[in-house]
Amino acid sequence: MKTEIKRWALVSFFLLGMVVVSISCHKAVNDKKVIIGGKNFTEQYLLAEMGKNLMENNGFFVELKTGVGSSVIRQSLLKGQIDLYYEYTGTAYTVYYKQADPHMMTNRTRCYEWVKEADARKGLIWLESVPFNNSYTLMMREEDAERLGISSISDLSRYINKYPEKLLIGVNAEFWERPDGFKALMSHYGFTVPYNSIKKMESGLAYKALQEEHVSVSMGFETDGRIEAFGFINLKDDKSFFPVYNPAPVIRKKVLDKYPEIQKILEPIAEHLTTEEMRKLNAEVDIEKKQVEDVAANWLKRKNLL
Amino acid sequence: MNKALKYLYRLILIILLLAGAVFIDRTGLIEYLSDANEILYTAGLVWQHIKMVMVSMALATTIGLSVGILFTRPSLKRFSGVIMYIVGLGQAVPSLAVLAIAMSFLGIGFEAAVFALFIYSILPIARNTMAGIKSVPPWVIDAAKGMGMPGLQILLYVEIPNAMKVILTGFRVALVINIGTAALAFLIGAGGLGEHIFTGIDLMRPDKLLAGAIPTALLALLADYLCELLGFIIIPRGLRLTQEV
Amino acid sequence: MNIITFIMDNAEKCWSLTLDHISIVAFSISLAAIIGIPTGVIISHDKRLAQKIINIANIFMTIPSIALFGLMLPLLAIAGYGLGKVPAVIALVLYSQLPIIRNTYVGISNIPPELVETARGLGMGRWVRLKEIEIPLAMPVIIAGLRNAAVMNIGIAAIAAYIGAGGLGVFIQQGIARAYEDMILAGALLVAVLAIFIDCGMAYLEKILTPKGIKIAGDQRP
Repeated sequence: MKTEIKRWALVSFFLLGMVVVSISCHKAVNDKKVIIGGKNFTEQYLLAEMGKNLMENNGFFVELKTGVGSSVIRQSLLKGQIDLYYEYTGTAYTVYYKQADPHMMTNRTRCYEWVKEADARKGLIWLESVPFNNSYTLMMREEDAERLGISSISDLSRYINKYPEKLLIGVNAEFWERPDGFKALMSHYGFTVPYNSIKKMESGLAYKALQEEHVSVSMGFETDGRIEAFGFINLKDDKSFFPVYNPAPVIRKKVLDKYPEIQKILEPIAEHLTTEEMRKLNAEVDIEKKQVEDVAANWLKRKNLL
Repeated sequence: MNKALKYLYRLILIILLLAGAVFIDRTGLIEYLSDANEILYTAGLVWQHIKMVMVSMALATTIGLSVGILFTRPSLKRFSGVIMYIVGLGQAVPSLAVLAIAMSFLGIGFEAAVFALFIYSILPIARNTMAGIKSVPPWVIDAAKGMGMPGLQILLYVEIPNAMKVILTGFRVALVINIGTAALAFLIGAGGLGEHIFTGIDLMRPDKLLAGAIPTALLALLADYLCELLGFIIIPRGLRLTQEV
Repeated sequence: MNIITFIMDNAEKCWSLTLDHISIVAFSISLAAIIGIPTGVIISHDKRLAQKIINIANIFMTIPSIALFGLMLPLLAIAGYGLGKVPAVIALVLYSQLPIIRNTYVGISNIPPELVETARGLGMGRWVRLKEIEIPLAMPVIIAGLRNAAVMNIGIAAIAAYIGAGGLGVFIQQGIARAYEDMILAGALLVAVLAIFIDCGMAYLEKILTPKGIKIAGDQRP
């Protein structure tokens, strides 16, 4: 009988232990907690980390939910699963609001004001935007571009119309589908790539694919440090297809009302992060293989913001 | 009382199926698939998927069987325990990691995916081959020896047929896991149905997600069923009957 | 190629992701056990119902894990829980049902009927019989099922990183995106070590929870 009690005690302890472990791993101080979201590329991880560092420095408890696509993170914000994340003006304009007015979207201020007003009606507040422009780009290996005489997207479209099967293009699913993405780009520039020449993959892999010559043209982000380091060039968007993509923290109104100080806390990022700086930080993570947390924290320290 | 329960059970099943159908329709899957282009594209992905699975399973089966048979030979028998343990450890590494590691060594694309799938599928096959052959009752082998059968004949005509049920189970488990893992191969640039699934997750489009998830699940279920049929064909009738008892 | 350096340099992150991972798995196994073991017990007396339920559980396990995770997203988005640990845990619970239910069922239905008869003859009611005879006798098999499910879950939870659930899969996910081998290998190593650790731990649990009598008798069974 004694061994039985011991046995049952053990079992219940074990189960209880598991429940306690699982709950304690979640134990978060409930007041002054903010959830910051982020998409699934390096720059977003960095921005989220910077936001987290600054806020923690001011007594907040921050949880990060990063590494997902634009649609998912936007939904999460709207549904209140996250409180704040860095969104790009061009993305909000073309993807969430499906607008296409070039007068609006190629101008930094106009685009920003437009999305700020539109989102305000949804209870989302756009805080101060960061100066750099992280546009989508199409990249090619430098030697290839020189050899084929392609330096702009128009050149590319002419080449592809002539030899549709010759080039393999690497894109990620999001870029393919978006109204500011590849499908729309093809129609804007007047060329079509056959289905078989499109290789879909995650954006991080696209750089590797271009480098290892699995594809000849690839999508990219303008502030990515790997473009220069891997010897790629960006094709000129001579027909101004892409909008301006300035990032800015987008926060739920309820959260901002509760903690209005967040606006001031995040301002320094907008003041100090230029395109050059962003590119360097991206390179530190992608090329020098430093940790996102370290790069973000070190940058903030260098700028005396921490 | 039992009859009422049976009807209730059937009713719940029908309601669930209807709910499922409505849900699927709401996600736009039907519209998505009515585009001929998309169906062709999806078919292409299915083919990519099947290619990866077939090549890796072929490799895994040949090598897995050989390893299994090899380590049950009298000379190497003592190592079988160790090998089984190592092989079991390998299964602890998540499939995603095996794919990612293969990518770091072999670059992105088809070859790396096939290699990773091959590694992941050997385990159940080798382990079950060993377990199956070991479980052949020793008196059967004795009888064969007594009849004057040489070693190779014993292997081919006695050991393997007797172990076939277990070996086939191993093959079946490996195949189903393989099909499921191949869905992750998209992440290392090898295409396959994973493309639809991850696209659906990224873009929050349940129709794309289902367009990838449902064929994959169907493939796995089909493979499972075909293996069961295969069992009927391959396992000698005498054994099948005795094993059912 | 230095995994150890990586782990040492990022010890804090490794630790927090490991805790994350453990919490997801612990939670889903506990839930799965709470649902699965009683189910296994209930169906152990009805062979046909058992077949049906085990078939359903089998179907869940045949569906590729990433597909199941993905399906949780639209389903739960309606309730506002699309991303994160909740869909991951639910999918894992569904996934683990097969080994747990099947093992419980096999464990209990394999108890020699003479023992059950004897217990009935002794005047033990349904509940008492369950508690004193059936469950202790089936215990090693049930724990084996839990062990199987736990190790499986640890591996599958790595994929959950793709639906925002965190855990060690984040190392693998980010490692792939950044072509950072050390990170991928570190993630893989940590998960493997965790799986082996839990496997051994539960093997030990299996041993101490097996009633002494069975351990002795077990060696004498044909």
